[in-house]
Amino acid sequence: MALPPGVTETDFVDGLAAMRSAVGSEWVFDQPADLNTYRDFYSVLWGEPEEKMASAAVAPANVEEVQQVVRIANERRIPIYPISTGRNLGYGGSAPVLNGSVVVDLKRMNRIIEVNEANCSCLVEPGVSFFDMYRHLEESGSKLMMSVPDPGWGSLVGNALDSGGGYTAAGYRGHFEAVCGIEAVMADGELLRTGMGALPGSETWQQYRMGIGPCLDGLFRQSTLGVVTKMGFWMFPKPEAYLSASVEVMRFEDLEELVEIANELEYANLFNGMPGFSSPVLTRANPIVMAMVPEPEEMNRLVGETGLAAWSFSPNFYGPEKVIRAQWEYVQSRFAHIPGVRFNETGSLRLPISADEMERIHKPRFGIPSLEIFNVGSRGYGDFNPSDGHIWFSAVIPRSGKGIVEANRVMRRECERLGLNLFMFAPAVTCWTRSFVLFAAVPVYKDERNAHLREAVSEIIGICAEHGWGEYRCPPAFMDSVMDAYSFGDHKLRRVNEQIKDALDPNGILSVGRYGVWPERFRAGRDA
Amino acid sequence: MISRRSLLKWTAVAPALAAGSHAAFARMPHGLDALLLDERFSPEPQPGQPLIPVMRFAGDVTRVWYDHLDRRWREPGYVLGGITGSDALFVLENLAEQHGRRVVSRTVLDEPHFQGVAPISWVIAPHHPSVLA
Repeated sequence: MALPPGVTETDFVDGLAAMRSAVGSEWVFDQPADLNTYRDFYSVLWGEPEEKMASAAVAPANVEEVQQVVRIANERRIPIYPISTGRNLGYGGSAPVLNGSVVVDLKRMNRIIEVNEANCSCLVEPGVSFFDMYRHLEESGSKLMMSVPDPGWGSLVGNALDSGGGYTAAGYRGHFEAVCGIEAVMADGELLRTGMGALPGSETWQQYRMGIGPCLDGLFRQSTLGVVTKMGFWMFPKPEAYLSASVEVMRFEDLEELVEIANELEYANLFNGMPGFSSPVLTRANPIVMAMVPEPEEMNRLVGETGLAAWSFSPNFYGPEKVIRAQWEYVQSRFAHIPGVRFNETGSLRLPISADEMERIHKPRFGIPSLEIFNVGSRGYGDFNPSDGHIWFSAVIPRSGKGIVEANRVMRRECERLGLNLFMFAPAVTCWTRSFVLFAAVPVYKDERNAHLREAVSEIIGICAEHGWGEYRCPPAFMDSVMDAYSFGDHKLRRVNEQIKDALDPNGILSVGRYGVWPERFRAGRDA
Repeated sequence: MISRRSLLKWTAVAPALAAGSHAAFARMPHGLDALLLDERFSPEPQPGQPLIPVMRFAGDVTRVWYDHLDRRWREPGYVLGGITGSDALFVLENLAEQHGRRVVSRTVLDEPHFQGVAPISWVIAPHHPSVLA
C-alpha cells in the first residue's frame, strides 16, 4: 500500500476506515485500477517513479461528508487533495501535487443550487460541469448564458479556481472574475462563507462580492487553504445578436497603434466580446501556429507578396443588433486613418442559434460547451492531436504591440534552440481583460522524451522571468519554478502565502504544494 | 468490480469488434446496449436493420455525449461498444471513468488511419457499484 508522506500505516488505515464510515465504503478507493483514474493523463512525469499519484481517493456526497473527511484527515495529518471533476489535464488533472495524497473527489456534489434569473447569477456545487449547467439553462428556458472553456467537460468551480477562461463577454470570460460568493470547508473542518454569505439571512450573497473587511475569495484561487463546496457566479444575459469583425493593417509598423486603440476601445466598453490579435501573413502556413515575427522590411515584403495583412485585430460584440452595429461602425472610425486598413465582418447572427448555424460557430463563444477541440488533430492543422497529450506554457506579457513581437521572437527562438515542438502558438490570448497571455502548446509524451521536455520548459520559465513574463497557470511539475520566478522582496509573495498556509492549515493537510505553497512540515522537501 | 452479467456482455462482443468496422457492423453483436461508430472510419451505413441502437458521429463526440451518454451513464447498466478514432476514445474514456465505467476491451484495428488518428474498437462497461445493472 502506498502511504502519504509523514503518515504511519496505522493512521492511514484507520483514516481510510473512518472515511468509509463517513461516506460509504463504495466511495473510498484504494485499489490500483481505481487510482489509475486519478492520474494526470498529460503528466510530464507519466510512468516515472516521480509521477504524482494518489494513495487513495474519497468521494463525499455533501458538505457534511466533506467536513467529516477533512476532520478525519486533519486528526491524522493525512494530506488530502480536493478536485472538482479533475478535467484540467496538463494542469494536474485529478492527480495531487504531493505524491501519496488522498484525493477528495467532489464529483458527486453536482447540484445546481440556484439559477437566479432576476439576479443573473447561479450558485453551484463543485461537481457541476459546464455541460450540466448548459443542459439546465436549455431545459429551463433560461435567459442566461454561462461562459465556458474549451473543452467544456470540466466543472464551473474547478475551472474558476484554476483561473480558467472562456470566450464570451468581458467580466464573465475570466471565470474567477465572475465569482461572487464562496463556501469552503477549512482545514479544521469548519465552514466559511465569503462576502455577503457570512451574514445570516442575507439575500445578497451573489450580488456583492466583498462583504466587509478583506475580500477572502482570492484565498481559494489556485490555493491550498480550503475545500470549496459552493460557489456563486455572475451570468451573462443572452444577447439579442452577435457580431464578429476584423481590422487588418498592412505594415509591420502598424501593430503598436492597432493594439493601443483596441485596448482603449475595450476598456471603454465599446466592444464586449473577447478580442483576437493575430498576423494573417505569419499564420498562412498554419492557422494555429504563428511563425516568428521577421524584421519589418521582410514582413512588409511578405505582405506585399501575399496580399495578406501584417496584423489583425478581431473585435466581437454581443448585444442588441442596433447597438452592436453602431459600436462596430465607431470601432472602424477609430482605425480609418491607418493607411491601407481593411475592415471585414466575419460573422453575425441573431439568437437563438439555428441548427444550421450551430454547425458553423465556435460554440464556446455562445456559452455552449464542446469537446470538438479533441479531434482538431484530424482536421489538417499539422502534426497535432490534443488527445495525445500536451501542456500549455502561458505567460502574462505586456499588452502592447512591442509585447507581442518581443514575446513571439523570444519564444520561437528559445523553443527552436531547445528542440520544443510548438504545435499551437497564439501571440496574445485575451480571456482575462487588460492582459495578454502568450499561449504555447507543446506535446507531452509517454516515454523518456519527457525528461528533456521538463528541462526545456524549466529553462523557458527562467528565460521568460528574465523578461518579466510570469505564467498565470502551469502543470504541477513546474509550480515551484513558476512561484520562484515571482521573487520580488526575496520571495515575499511565497513567504506570505506560507505564513497564511501555516496559520489556516497548521497540520499541512490541504492541497500540499499546490502552486508552490508548502506547509511547514513539507517545506524542506519540496521535491517529494 | 464488474458483474458477471456485464462481463458476459462485453466478452461476447469483443472479438467481433476487433475484426474491424465492417465485420463488426455485419455481425451486430449481442450483449451491447448500443454501438458507436465514427464515420471517419466507417463512412457508409451498412445494409440491414441493426439489432441495437447505432450512434454515428464524425470525430467530435460532443453531440453523442450531450444527447445520449451524459444521461445514460448516470443510470445503472448500459454497455457501449464502439469503433472510433483514438482521439474520440480518449475523451469517452475520461468521461466514462468519471461515471463509474471503464474500457474493458480495446483493440487497435489494422485499418487505415485518418489524418494520423488510429481506429480502435472498444467496449465501455459499468464498473462502480452505483452504476452496475
